[in-house]
Amino acid sequence: MAPDQSDVLRGTLDLLILKTLTLEPMHGWGIGARIQQFSRGLLDVNQGSLYPALQRLEQRGWIASDWQQTENNRRAKYYKLTASGRRAVGAETASWRRYVEAVEFILDIA
Amino acid sequence: MEILMGLRARLRAFFRPAAADRELNDEIGFHIDLETDKNVRLGMAPTEARRVAVAHFGGVQRVREEHHDVRRPHWIDDAVSDVRFALRSLRRTPGLTAAAVVTLALGIGANAAIFSAVNAVVLQPLPVPHSEQLMMLWEENPEKNWYKQTAAPANYLDWREQIPAFQDIAAYADFPARATLTGRGDPQLLTLARVTGNFFSVASIRPVLGRALTDDETWSNNQTRSAVLSFRGWRDRFGSDASIVGKTIQLNGRGVQVVGVMPQGFALPFEDVDAWLAIGWDPADRADVSFRRAHWIRAIGRLKPGVSRAQANVQLQAVMGRLKVQYPETNKFMGAGMTPLQEFLVGDTRLPLLVLMAAVALLLLIACANVGNLLLIQAAGRGREAALRLALGAGRFRLVRQAITESLVLSAIGGACGLVLGWAGTHVLQNMQPAQMLRVSHFGVDRTVLAYVVLVTTVSGLLFGLAPALWTRHRDPAEALKNGSRSGSQGRRVKRWGDALVIGEVALALVMTVGAGLLVRSFWQLRHVDPGFEAEGVLAVDVGLSQRYDSIAKMTTFWTQVLERGRALPGVTHAALVSDIPLTGTTYTSDFIAAGRPAAGYMAEVGHRQVSADYFATMQVPLLLGRTFTAADRRSAPRVVLINSALAKSYFRGQDPIGQRVTYDKVPNDKSVWRTIVGVVGDEHQSALNTAAKIEFLEPDEQEVSAQNYILLKTTGDPAALTPAVRQIVHDLDPSLAILSSRPMTAVRDDALARARFLTTLLLAFAVVGLVLSIVGVYGLLAQLSRNRTREMGIRLALGAPQSGVRWLVIRHGLGVTAAGLCIGGAVTLVASRAMTALLFNVPPNDPLTLATVAALLAATSLVAAWIPARKASNADPASALRSD
Repeated sequence: MAPDQSDVLRGTLDLLILKTLTLEPMHGWGIGARIQQFSRGLLDVNQGSLYPALQRLEQRGWIASDWQQTENNRRAKYYKLTASGRRAVGAETASWRRYVEAVEFILDIA
Repeated sequence: MEILMGLRARLRAFFRPAAADRELNDEIGFHIDLETDKNVRLGMAPTEARRVAVAHFGGVQRVREEHHDVRRPHWIDDAVSDVRFALRSLRRTPGLTAAAVVTLALGIGANAAIFSAVNAVVLQPLPVPHSEQLMMLWEENPEKNWYKQTAAPANYLDWREQIPAFQDIAAYADFPARATLTGRGDPQLLTLARVTGNFFSVASIRPVLGRALTDDETWSNNQTRSAVLSFRGWRDRFGSDASIVGKTIQLNGRGVQVVGVMPQGFALPFEDVDAWLAIGWDPADRADVSFRRAHWIRAIGRLKPGVSRAQANVQLQAVMGRLKVQYPETNKFMGAGMTPLQEFLVGDTRLPLLVLMAAVALLLLIACANVGNLLLIQAAGRGREAALRLALGAGRFRLVRQAITESLVLSAIGGACGLVLGWAGTHVLQNMQPAQMLRVSHFGVDRTVLAYVVLVTTVSGLLFGLAPALWTRHRDPAEALKNGSRSGSQGRRVKRWGDALVIGEVALALVMTVGAGLLVRSFWQLRHVDPGFEAEGVLAVDVGLSQRYDSIAKMTTFWTQVLERGRALPGVTHAALVSDIPLTGTTYTSDFIAAGRPAAGYMAEVGHRQVSADYFATMQVPLLLGRTFTAADRRSAPRVVLINSALAKSYFRGQDPIGQRVTYDKVPNDKSVWRTIVGVVGDEHQSALNTAAKIEFLEPDEQEVSAQNYILLKTTGDPAALTPAVRQIVHDLDPSLAILSSRPMTAVRDDALARARFLTTLLLAFAVVGLVLSIVGVYGLLAQLSRNRTREMGIRLALGAPQSGVRWLVIRHGLGVTAAGLCIGGAVTLVASRAMTALLFNVPPNDPLTLATVAALLAATSLVAAWIPARKASNADPASALRSD
């Protein structure tokens, strides 16, 4: 993965994680699987980036985690959105839309 | 909010990295398991499924490292590097660092020591469960000027039965009793507290050995009296004898059974109590009028849970109201009230401690101002460095934080040294404190003191770091780089801050020193109070007779023989007996009336002492009128009495008291004993130097025989050297008697000054340190000023300004700063010193002499401090000054 790509990806990955967690609390694997599922397989989350991203979001206070039992009776770390995380989804979404718009605009002109 | 939410995760990651790693491993393991499951569902063989899952995940190690990077918070990295940087820069300027650390250590050490005393005496609860429920109940009598006084046993018993707000009320005799322990090696002197049987149950203290006293032991039932040992008494007097319970010991020649031992640390009501003795009242006394008239016990009540002091007080007042009606003879003017026990015990120690606490707080503020000034000078010297860092893009906030970190590191070092000093200080205080003054004999550095030191250290670090930090914030990098570090607007700003700090220091030093000055003046006055007797060359030996002396004749014989043998000792010129020596305040008091005078109209209590004929010659108490006692005033002779000058003046008011007859009843009846006044003697200060002589009667010892007396020996030599000889005399007459105490009267006189001396010495020491620090501050400011203006001075000198003119420039600045400090400090002092009124004797708190003297002292010393840098500036060599940067 080239570094210039990762920067862009990192920004979107954060947003995708947050968006996914608006549905329900989830563990790391579930988040990855859900993103893949929602994007109809178009986006394959790099699993290696997923956990640092989760850690980063937790430190910003946007998500919180705790260990819980899964349906299959295994211990897994579940992440959930905090109140400030919920606000952040709105702001990040808007910012993403502006970004996409700007890129589209440039592509159209060129 | 986000910061707070994230903080927990960050802190955990930082402080418990292993746990965080473990969690991450678990999480990755779980992820790969699920991925493997998915692959299996897609039709892969299990081993293949796992391999693909791991490959898909990417490098596990890389994830871990990335995770670490995210996890490690920047601010902690920054803080660590800030601290390192601070340590480096402190090392670069060892002189300044040492000066700052010493200054802070003094300030913080003094605080730690005094606070540990305050903590032990005022803040720590009494060592009993729910001590907040314990109340001291006292009686008062405006007619006799009694306030928070002892209670009468009969009144106490009524309170106990009639106030439902209390779970129970216990009582103890207000004065510790001293008794000689015999039959276990050499006679030993024990300190006893006489308490009611429920004393320990009210205190909620259980014995570690045996039993406590029982309720019925309040009354003597002709059984053996019981004693409970304090832990200290058990350890020191009985060698921790595990089989002591049940044994009978001999106290003053009387058998007392030890029934229990109390736990360590419980020492109410006297810090040095060796044993508690059942008070053993005679049930027959209960109805006697003396049981309600004589006030000599202290009552401690335990409130029921949930009952307030106010509610209890209402009930107490109701009982007192009933007693007034029921027993008008004794209770007509009696009132009562209650004070939380702790507050009552702390009593008059609180104010001295608070004054000392205020003094050390001021001292620390001065220390902070001084260190702040040092740092400011240093920061100014490092102006270019800061400017450069700003120019290179360091955030201003980061620079401020750097400055504050530096001062916090400095204060932490100072605080650590201060803690050591403070710990040593507590030992000095403990050894220096007058007996019983602080009520606790031991106080140390506990967790509360530690927390206080940490708090004080941090606050002072922030305080003295503030000025340089704020100053850093205002820097304009361009200008600083252009001008260098020594001139321009920054220079002026530094100067302004520096001036403000030194003005503050001088003001604080003035407040402290005036406080100390007032105490010194007051101590001086106290020293020059004439106690009414001549202490030089007199030895006072306290002897108490045991139960074996059960008749007047036996007692008189003993005392007469002791005096005879004492008088025969070489060097002894006079020997006398007195029941109570002056300046110790333990005389008993009563009503009185002179024959032919109306009962009402005179409302004071009169004191009584018994003296032998030679007393006045021994102590050189002057005879003012009439005669003193002679050998003829024996028991069989008509009763005679002497009065002191205070009584003659206030009661007889110019009438000749000689020949008048007095009795000790308020309203005389046919059983009253009448005595004839034969003389008037000079006033002695019975209780203390700072309280006026009280009115008193002096009775001949043979007519009013006492079982306890002081033997006074006047010698031409060293009185203390007589002690072994007196001990021998007593031992020869009765080997079972021990001497209660033996002290020269000069020591008694010095003890009367001990409290004042203790407080004055401490405050003076703090004030001197504060004064020196503030003068050093003035010096530092001016030295820096003249250094920074070397170039200007050089130019002035080169242009022909006289040296004296240049010198005056510096001195004028110093005087200006000092004068401003003195004005502010003077204003503060006039208000603040009022708090000390109760500690002063014959000195008003706004004493102009003290204020003027201290101000002059400060002005003079700061002039000296200004002189040194001023001379240096005026000696500057113009040529080299101009060349310098």
